[in-house]
Amino acid sequence: MTFWLWLLLAIGPAPTSHTVEIRGMEFHPAELTVAVGDTVVWINRDLVPHTATGAGKTKWDTGQLAQGDSGRYVARVAGNVSYVCAFHPTMRGKLLVR
Amino acid sequence: MSRPMPPLLVALSLMLAASLPAQNPAPAAAPDLSDPEVAHVAVTANSIDIDAGKFAQTRTKNPAVHQFAATMITDHSAVNAQAAALAKKLGVTPADNAVSQSLMTGAAQAHQDLESLKGAAFDRAYIAREVAYHQAVLDALDKLLIPTTENADLKKLLQDVRPAIAAHLEHAKRIQAELGAPAKTAQ
Repeated sequence: MTFWLWLLLAIGPAPTSHTVEIRGMEFHPAELTVAVGDTVVWINRDLVPHTATGAGKTKWDTGQLAQGDSGRYVARVAGNVSYVCAFHPTMRGKLLVR
Repeated sequence: MSRPMPPLLVALSLMLAASLPAQNPAPAAAPDLSDPEVAHVAVTANSIDIDAGKFAQTRTKNPAVHQFAATMITDHSAVNAQAAALAKKLGVTPADNAVSQSLMTGAAQAHQDLESLKGAAFDRAYIAREVAYHQAVLDALDKLLIPTTENADLKKLLQDVRPAIAAHLEHAKRIQAELGAPAKTAQ
């Protein structure tokens, strides 16, 4: 019994997966709050390819996402993470990692 | 060297002017484009920008301009692939028409204008043309192509393409601002 309780506490809340849709040359939602350890999945609904690419110090990149493709990023560190589409600099998004 | 309005822009502007009732009291002033003709105009407009992007990649040394050109090639190719798939699905053969032909004439003229330029002068001229081109295409989509298209699938494709054209326009304007004004204005 004690063991199971300990295990439950050790694991903590299960990491969640969040989805950001890319459509109409925008990230939806453009700003998303997630917990450390959560996964963010971007899915491209547009005709044209996109990326989600970390801006600033945290360099990460989903790589090119064609229509219907998805890419992911696991938020490891708390803080605000801005990202862009590497092909379309007018497209910007932000993750608030808490 | 004078700076006339790019012929392509003239062609699209004429097309638009003809489509605006206020400009012409005569009824049925809009160019009467059938859906196969609209499809042809769309494919032609994409192909022109792909070719311009390919040429720019051989000429520019500016990374931002190079990246922009790459995006134009990728995006307009993706749209044309979708247009070809749709045409096949609908059993429609895009039909050549006067608007497509004037687009091609304008593109040939624009290419000739860019051919003689190098370095920063080329970058400014290419990006200026891309700003004008995407603005003209956006206006044509809003005022002519989307409203006159009857087939629901083709209309949806044009509507889906619109945000990409708007984003390309903003992207080009940003680069234009970064490149700054020409060092001198030739008359």
